[in-house]
This record gives sequence, structure tokens and C-alpha cells, in this order.
Amino acid sequence: MSGFRDERLAALKAKIATLEAGGRADSESLPFGDSHIDSCFLDGGLPLGCWHEFGGEGMEAETAACPAAFAALVAAPLARRGEAVWILRRDDLFVPGLVGLGFPAERLIQVCARDEDEALAVAEDALATPGVAAVFAEVETVSLTAGRRLQLACEKRGATGFVIRRRPYGGKAKAAGGSAAASRWRVTPAASEPGPGEFGLGPPRWAVELERCRGGRTGSWLFEAADAFTYEASDGTHPLRLVAPLGGQQLAPSQPLRRTA
Amino acid sequence: MDRAGRRLGLYVGQKATDAAAIAPELVTAEAEPEADARALSALVDWCVRFSPAVAADGPDGLFMDISGVAHLWGGEAELLADFQSRLSANGLAFRIAIADTPGAAWALAHYGQDGAIARPGQQIGLLAPLPPAALRLEPETAAQIDRLGLKVLAQLFDIPRAPLARRFGIETLTRLDQALGRSKEALIFHRAPTPWFARLAFAEPISAPEDMARVAFDVGAALCARLEKEGQGARRFELCFHRVDGQVAPLQVGLALAARDPTRIAKLFAPKIETIDPGFGVEVVTLEAGEVEALSGRQARLDSLLEAGSAEGLAPLIDRLTNRLGEDRVWKARPVESHVPEQSVVPGAALGPSVAGWDPERPRPFRLFRRPEPLEAVTALMPDDPPRQFRWRGQLHRVRRAEGPERIGQEWWRGAIEDVRTDHIRDYYRVEDEAGARFWLFRAGTYTPGTQAKWWLHGLFA
Repeated sequence: MSGFRDERLAALKAKIATLEAGGRADSESLPFGDSHIDSCFLDGGLPLGCWHEFGGEGMEAETAACPAAFAALVAAPLARRGEAVWILRRDDLFVPGLVGLGFPAERLIQVCARDEDEALAVAEDALATPGVAAVFAEVETVSLTAGRRLQLACEKRGATGFVIRRRPYGGKAKAAGGSAAASRWRVTPAASEPGPGEFGLGPPRWAVELERCRGGRTGSWLFEAADAFTYEASDGTHPLRLVAPLGGQQLAPSQPLRRTA
Repeated sequence: MDRAGRRLGLYVGQKATDAAAIAPELVTAEAEPEADARALSALVDWCVRFSPAVAADGPDGLFMDISGVAHLWGGEAELLADFQSRLSANGLAFRIAIADTPGAAWALAHYGQDGAIARPGQQIGLLAPLPPAALRLEPETAAQIDRLGLKVLAQLFDIPRAPLARRFGIETLTRLDQALGRSKEALIFHRAPTPWFARLAFAEPISAPEDMARVAFDVGAALCARLEKEGQGARRFELCFHRVDGQVAPLQVGLALAARDPTRIAKLFAPKIETIDPGFGVEVVTLEAGEVEALSGRQARLDSLLEAGSAEGLAPLIDRLTNRLGEDRVWKARPVESHVPEQSVVPGAALGPSVAGWDPERPRPFRLFRRPEPLEAVTALMPDDPPRQFRWRGQLHRVRRAEGPERIGQEWWRGAIEDVRTDHIRDYYRVEDEAGARFWLFRAGTYTPGTQAKWWLHGLFA
């Protein structure tokens, strides 16, 4: 009896997985290299060929420095594979700072859009272009229809979209509607820790909450930019290092939590 | 040398001091060979109205081959008169001669009578009284001939060829033969660039948008076929709809890489054609290609869509974006060697070689404000200390950690030495507030006792 139930359950799960993958058999994923977070995703890593949403709170809702930096580092391994396109509404992205965090900016094309609709249209266009691996778009909100269109564009060539929610300065907060994103992240700055015997600021840290994850689990962690402001970067490892899981997350029972703080 | 100068007794090659002694009111100017060459080149271009074969000669002359064109003016004399009047109208000083050979024409123009026309086969008589220098000889050779008492060309004509060549070099003989038409001379004619231009005229004016889109493709196909035949591609196209009422509506598209694919070009024009008001109809459409450059043929590959990372897919995207948003809205950041943060990045071509030249060990913010924003209520313990707290956009931030200062000064070597000031400096600090937000702020200028230091926020770290 229970064997039959398990079988049915497995078949249903497989069916859902194919639906989630949007009909693509060759869905890829980008592992973070830490089982704490990779186990939250269906395929053991951030799914590619779909789009992800990053946002912040308070001051970060308008400046969006931390969500954008986190998204850039999540996508850094992708940017080494192909071209990256960054769509802005305000031209204040400072590429030397991006390079300092360990993002390969040599193939980054920046586009300054005039309004929200144009930014989304450019993102859609870029996602459907062969050779483009990652597309970053700084927009206010993505409506359900726009999100669906982005998803279709992602599925065309398997490019991955990174939508960074950013409110115009002085703008009123808009209610975030339902979203077609594969995952939604909230990134807030966290106090940095300089190494023992070092002065000043340590590598940048962020408290990251995975608020929504299609086909996976949510969670929150403390991340650190592992290669920030150093030449000793790009040895193949992921530029984000998980410092510690933060409280209140659901963990798979099979994987006991090991604190690494 | 113009008439006024000649009247004063000035001549070419005179020393400036001698000339000033003759005419004390003389104003001297530096020679500008490049500007002269440019002006001559422009004159050569202009002369194409008389003959398609025009060649620049030396710093101050030009040859025009008028074989077969003089009858259009009614004869050589009429052509010459028209040419002279047009040159005079432009305020140019000139000397002209017409002869069978370039050599003879040069000799007559430089040493003979201005406006001389040598009848066919008759130039030998006109050349005979001219000095040997009229043969376009090296100055040393001409001086040597002159020293030997050979004052006119007629004397040179009588000398047997072999001793002449032995005595004055084969060059003299060649020049003599060229002047008399016994030896050929090659001129390098200036070739005006063939315009990359195509035109379609219609029997009936058109106005439907789909018709306009179709003719845009047709005229593009005509031009692209020509481009392909000559192995060229263009990066700029201008499509003009000439309306019945004489109005012209131009449309432009630019491409990141040179291309000659009519379908692609038509696609770039398509959204713009909708904005055109055809009025009572369009009777002529023209397409002009600009920035034409060599483009090797490429075979369309079956798997070209699968070629990830190829410029094939990216170039059309860049074209679409630059044409839709404007050229300054799509770029790739390029490093500039500058300490001043806002000057260390310039926008470069979106499609281009990848470069990165920024020092990753120097912490730079993730977002840099175009204009630094003033900070209020900044408290620092010591004049040289980072602030303990500051107010930005109405919010108070308490500083938990700070590092700095990094002093960035004016790049004095870029400007004039008089403009250099030592107080144009910024002391940058990287600070982290209690919430973990990281800022890049600076104190402007040096510390002066009794005055409040001015603090600015220049960027945000992630």
C-alpha cells in the first residue's frame, strides 16, 4: 500500500519537475558549492534558463547596491561563459567596484533605459540573444505578464535573468505583485568582520533570505564576498562564501545543520 | 605670389628679413604644409567639375586631363576662360597652361605665359625660349645646366641625346622626352569616392506603411548587392523618403559591425518607418551608406544559431538597442588611467575588445554618484578622523567601522601649471554603519583651523 503511494508520489514529483523546467529537458543549474544552500534547490544549484528576483529594504530599496552586488556575484560564474548585459534606469553602476568584488566585467555591456517598460523590453531582447549568458535588469516591479514574457525569453536560449528591484529615488513603494520568478531573494547589508589583526572593514557581508524558490525550500544565510578587493581571485571557486546559516530556516531532516560560524 | 606682392618687389624664396626690409608693413605667417595639402586636395575635388581625371602635383599644382571634355565648353579656350573666371571668383592666384603633355603644360604654366594654349604638336616652339628649370629638374641639375651657359631649352633640344644623358643624367633626358611627348608619363589621378547610394522612383506615389517598408527593403537590396560585389559593408545607413510636395523625411540607422544584409537593415528601419508621415505620397526613396569598410564574405552556417559567444548574435542585439535607445545608452566600460574615481571609467563601444584595467585591490564603491551628495551633521573626533556619525537624505547613520583616509588629489600634470592648487584634494573614507551599510565619503580640502570641514558622500559599497 505504502509502496504504491510512494510510487505515485515519485511520478507526480517527476511530472511537476518537468513542468517547472518549462518543458526544457536540458535544464542546468549553477551550484553555490555549499550544501546548505544547494540542497534548497531542486537540481542542487541555482536553476539556469529562468529569471530570479533580488530586492532590498529601507535605503536599499532605492539604492539597491547590496541586492545588485549579490546578484552579480551569484551570476559571476555565468559571466565568464558568455556576455552579460546590465540594464539600468540610473547610470550609477561603477564598474571598478564591480571588478573589485570579483565580477568579470570585461564582457559586461551596460544599457541605460529611459523607462520601466523599455528596461523590461531590452531585458527580454537580450535574454533571447545567443551568446548572452546573464542579463541584469534594475526595474521597479515585474508584473505577472512581464514576468511570463521574461521567462519565455529565458527559455529560448537558456540565458538567465537577474531582476534587481529598485525604486526610483523619492518614489512611492509599489506593492510587489505576484511573480513568475524562479526564486526571490531579499538581500540586506550585514556588518563585516575584518580578519584577526586587520583594521578597517572586512569583506562585504550580506544577510540573504531566499523568500521564494520554485520547487525548492526557502532559507536565510549570511554570505561573504570571498574575492573582494584582491588579486587572488577567480581560482574557479564561487565568489560567494556562505558564512553561516541564519535562524528560522527549514532544513532537510536528512541533512543535520552544522554551524560554520 | 600675387600681383600686390610682385609690385612691391617680393619673390618666392626671398628671405623674410629681406622682404621685411622692402615692405616694412609685411605680416609674416608660419608655413602650414598640412593645411596647404588639405586645401589643394579640396581644390582637386572641386576641379572634378571640369574633368574626371585630376591629379594633385607637388605642394601647389594640379594636372587636369581635359582630353575629350573641352568640347563641352565649346573648345579649350572657352574651358580655360571658365576655369579662370571660377578660380578668380574664389580669390585664388593661379597660372594655367594647356599643352599636349603634362610636362609641357607644367613648363608653360610655371615659366611661360599664363593662359597659354599649345596647339597639338606645337609645344616645342613654345617651350624653346623657356629656361631649363621648366623641365621639372632637380635644382642642382638645373643650376648645373645654367652654369654651363645653356639658358634656354632650345639649346638643350640641339644637344645629341647620348652626351646629354651622360652629362646631366638620365632624369634630364626623361623629363625632356616627357615634355615633348616622346615618352609617356603616368599621373596619379585623384579618384573621388563613388557614392554608396541607391535610388528607387515610383510611377505612382506610395503612402501605405507596408509599401514603404517594402521599398525600403528593395532599395536596401539594390545597395547591398553593390556592396557585396565590391566586398564592402557599411555601418551607417540613411534612408530618405522624398515626398510629392518636396519634403524629405530622413531615417538613420547605425550598426555596431559593418553589414550588407538587406533583411537586417530593413528590420532596423521597420519601426522607424511607422513614424514617417507620407503626406500626399512618396515618389522617390533613396538609401545612402556611410562608414563603408571592407567586409569579407561569410557563408551562412547551418549551426550559426548554436554558436554561443559569437559576435553574430550579439551585433544585431547591439544594433537594435542603439537604434532604439540612442548611441550613448549602450556601452561597455573602459578603463582610463586616472586616480580621480569619476574619471577612471569612460563609456566605450559596446562591441569591442575586452579590457579591464582597474586595480581590484583598491576598494571602489559599487554605486558611484555622478555628483557627490552633501552630508549633514557630521561629527568627527579629530580633524583627520573619519566621521562618527552623519546624516544622509534625512537619515542618521552611526559609523561602526571605518577605514581611510585615501587621499585623492588633483591630477596636476593634466592642466596648466598655473592652475595647480594644493587644496584640491579629497580624503576618502570607507565606513560601515551600525546596520552594516557601507558608504564611501570624503572630506573636501585640507584642514583649516576654525572652519567646518565639508563632507560628501560619493558612493555606496555593496
